[in-house]
Amino acid sequence: MARTFEFHGGVYPPERKQRSQGPVRHAMLPGRVVLHLDQHAGRPAFATVAVGDSVKVGTPIARCDGMISAALHASISGQVTQVDRHTITIDSDGLDAWQRLTPLEWRTASAEERLTRLEHSGVVGLGGAGFPTHIKARVSERQRIDTLVVNAAECEPYITVDDLTLRQYTSDVLEGAQLIASLCGAKQIVVGIEDNKPEAISALRQAMAESQPLSVTVSVIATRYPSGGERQLIKTLLDRDVPDKGLPADIGVLCQNPGTLLAALRSVRDGEPLVERLVTLTGEAIADPGNRWVRIGTPMAALLDEAGLNRAALHQLIEGGPMMGTPLADLEGVVTKTTNCLIAATRKELPPAPPESPCIRCGACEEACPANLLPQQLHWYARAKDDAKLAHYRLFDCIECNACSYVCPSHIPLVADYRHAKTRLRHQQLETAKAEHAKHRFEWRQARLDREEAEKQARRQARLARQSTQQTDSQGASPQADLRSLRIAQTAAKAAVRKAEKNLARAAQQDPQQSHDDLETQLATAKENLQAAEARLAEARSAGEPQETP
Amino acid sequence: MSDAFSIISLLSAVAVLTALGVGFGALLGAVSERFKGDESSLVEQIDTLLPQTQCGQCGYPGCRPYAEAINQGDAINKCPPGGDATITALADLLGRTPEPLDGEAPSEDLVAFIREDECIGCTKCIQACPVDAIIGAAKQMHTVIEDECTGCDLCLEPCPVDCIDMLPRSTPLAQWQPVTYPHQMIASDRRASMEMPHGTHL
Repeated sequence: MARTFEFHGGVYPPERKQRSQGPVRHAMLPGRVVLHLDQHAGRPAFATVAVGDSVKVGTPIARCDGMISAALHASISGQVTQVDRHTITIDSDGLDAWQRLTPLEWRTASAEERLTRLEHSGVVGLGGAGFPTHIKARVSERQRIDTLVVNAAECEPYITVDDLTLRQYTSDVLEGAQLIASLCGAKQIVVGIEDNKPEAISALRQAMAESQPLSVTVSVIATRYPSGGERQLIKTLLDRDVPDKGLPADIGVLCQNPGTLLAALRSVRDGEPLVERLVTLTGEAIADPGNRWVRIGTPMAALLDEAGLNRAALHQLIEGGPMMGTPLADLEGVVTKTTNCLIAATRKELPPAPPESPCIRCGACEEACPANLLPQQLHWYARAKDDAKLAHYRLFDCIECNACSYVCPSHIPLVADYRHAKTRLRHQQLETAKAEHAKHRFEWRQARLDREEAEKQARRQARLARQSTQQTDSQGASPQADLRSLRIAQTAAKAAVRKAEKNLARAAQQDPQQSHDDLETQLATAKENLQAAEARLAEARSAGEPQETP
Repeated sequence: MSDAFSIISLLSAVAVLTALGVGFGALLGAVSERFKGDESSLVEQIDTLLPQTQCGQCGYPGCRPYAEAINQGDAINKCPPGGDATITALADLLGRTPEPLDGEAPSEDLVAFIREDECIGCTKCIQACPVDAIIGAAKQMHTVIEDECTGCDLCLEPCPVDCIDMLPRSTPLAQWQPVTYPHQMIASDRRASMEMPHGTHL
C-alpha cells in the first residue's frame, strides 16, 4: 500500500451510503427527454437538428461551439419535438435503436484519432464539474504530465456512484485510465480511494496486476470530508501542493473521475457516445434506492417515481451530495451529464438549518477548512463588502466544500456569504472589462475619424498642388509643413503598432483559451493611427517637394 | 588670538553648512527634474476609474478628455454614470475631498433601442455614437448592438423622428446575481422561504 499524507482540516459527516449499495440496474426508458445545451463547462453546444427530425440513440444533435464546449447526442430514439435556445426535446418511439460510431482499437489508433473521438462523443467530467474530457486530455500539448490520479475518494455522504462503478466495471475503468494516461503522457496511474469502500478496493487490487502498460497503484486513504477535493486528494496521495490560482497540471498531475474514464473508454473502444450515466437515487423518501443507468435528459419526476418516491414525506430534493449539492425547488428538473446523485430527503433526515446567531469567534471553522483559509475573517469582510481584505484572505481559493458551515456552532451560512461575495466580485470584473472594451472602441473610432480627416486633407492638398502646377506660377502658397515632427509622429505610431502586436502575441500565448478582442481592437487602433500619420507625412512631403526643388 | 580662531571656526561652520544646503538643494532639484512623475500615467489611472460611457455629460467629449481635465484641476463630481462610487475612487486616488454628485445618477443600467419600423435611415445616430454601437446605412433601417452600447443617450437628440428609446439592459444568465435578503435582527421575523438549506446541516 502506497504511503499517504495529510491535508489540513476536514470534517466527519455521517456517511449514509448503506442504502444505495445494491447492484447497478438500468432505469426505465423515458418517454421524453429534455437535453440542455449547456450541461458542461464552457460555451453551450450548438443545436444541429430541427423539429421533426427522427433520431436514434447516439445521433449527434448539437456540436461544439468554440474551443471549450462539448457535443450532445440523442439519448433515446424518436422524434425531435422542440428546439429552443437552451434545450432540445425528443419524444421516444419506444424502439431504442442505436447509432454507434465505428469501434476503435485504441492501443493502435493515433492520438489525434482518439482525441477526435472523445470530442465527437461529448464526453465530459462526470464528477460534477463537466469539463470537456478531450480538452483535458490535450493538456500534454502545453504541460508535462507525469501522474494520472483516478479520483475515487467519493467523500460526500450518500453518493455511491464511483464505488459501484469500480466494483462492477473495474477492468474497464482501469483500461480507460490507461487510455487517458497514454493521451496525456502520464508515467504512472494512482487510484485514490477512501477506506469505506472495501469491496471496490479488493476489486481494484485484483484487477491492477493485469492492467497494461502503465503500473497502477491503489492508495487507500482515511475517510474524511473533503478528501475527494482535487487539491486535497493530490496533497494526500502525492504530497504536492497545487499553487494558488493554479491547476493540477501545473505540478504534473491530471485528475479524472472513474465514471469519466469508463465513458471515455466506451466512446473510443465501443463507439458509444455519452448518452447515459450512473446516478445514485437515495434518501429516506425513496422506497427502492440504488444506482441506475439513466439516459441523459430523463425527467427527475419519472425517475424518482420509478424508485418509489413518497411525495408526502419528501421535504427536500438535492442534486449532488448534501454538502456541496444544489437543493431543487421542485421535481421539474432533468438528469444532466453532471447529475451524480439525487437525494430525496425527509424533514427528519435533513432538517432545515436553525436560525443564525452571531459569530462567537470560536475558530472551529478555521480548524475545519481544508483550503487553509480563515473562514471567520472572510465572513466579516464578505458581509462588510471589503473587497481588498477578501482578496488578501484569498476568497477565491475557497472550494465551497461547506465544512465551515457544517461545524459552525452559530449556524452561520458561511459558504452562502462567500458565494455571494464571489458573484459580486465577478460581476465587478465584468463591468471593468466592459468599460475597458468601450474605451477601446471609442479610441478606435477616434483614430478612424482622424485618419479619414487626414486622407481628406491629403486629397485636397493634392488637388491644390495640381492646380497650382498647372498655373505654373506657384509661389509656395502651401505653408511649410513641419516634416520633422510629422516623421516623429509616424515613428511613434509605428512603435505603438509593434507594441500592440507584441502584447497580443504574448496574451494569446499565455492564455489561448481567452478571446483577445480588446487587444485586437487596440492593434487595429494603432494601425489606424499609423495610417493617419503616414497620410499626413506623405501629404506634407508632396506639398514640400515643389519648394525644395527650385 | 583665541577670538580670531573662534571667528574662523564660526565662518567655516557657516560655510560648510551653506555648502551642504546648496549641494543637497541642487541634488534634490536635479532628482525631481530627472524622475518627474509621469503626467500621462496619472491621466491613465483617472481614466480607468471613469465608467467609459463616453456620454459627454461632464462637458468634455469623452472620458479621456475629462480625465485630462481632472488632472488639470477640474472638479471630480461631474460624472453622473459613475455616481458616488466613481467620486469616492477618484477622491482616494487624488487625495481630494469627495463632493456630492453634480447632476443625477441614472437609476438603472439603460441601453438605446431603435424602434425599427419608424427608423427612416438618416444615419444621424450612427455619427453621434461614440463607440460605433449602431449599425445601418443610408435609407436602411438602423439597429443598436446591445453589448456594445454604453447607454450614453447621445443618439437620442439627433434622431429626427424620435424613434430611439432608452430601455433597461437585459442581463445575461451568466451574470445573474443571487437574490439576497437583508439580515434580520430577530430570527422569528424570517420568512419560511429563508429556511432553505444554505449549508445543509445533517
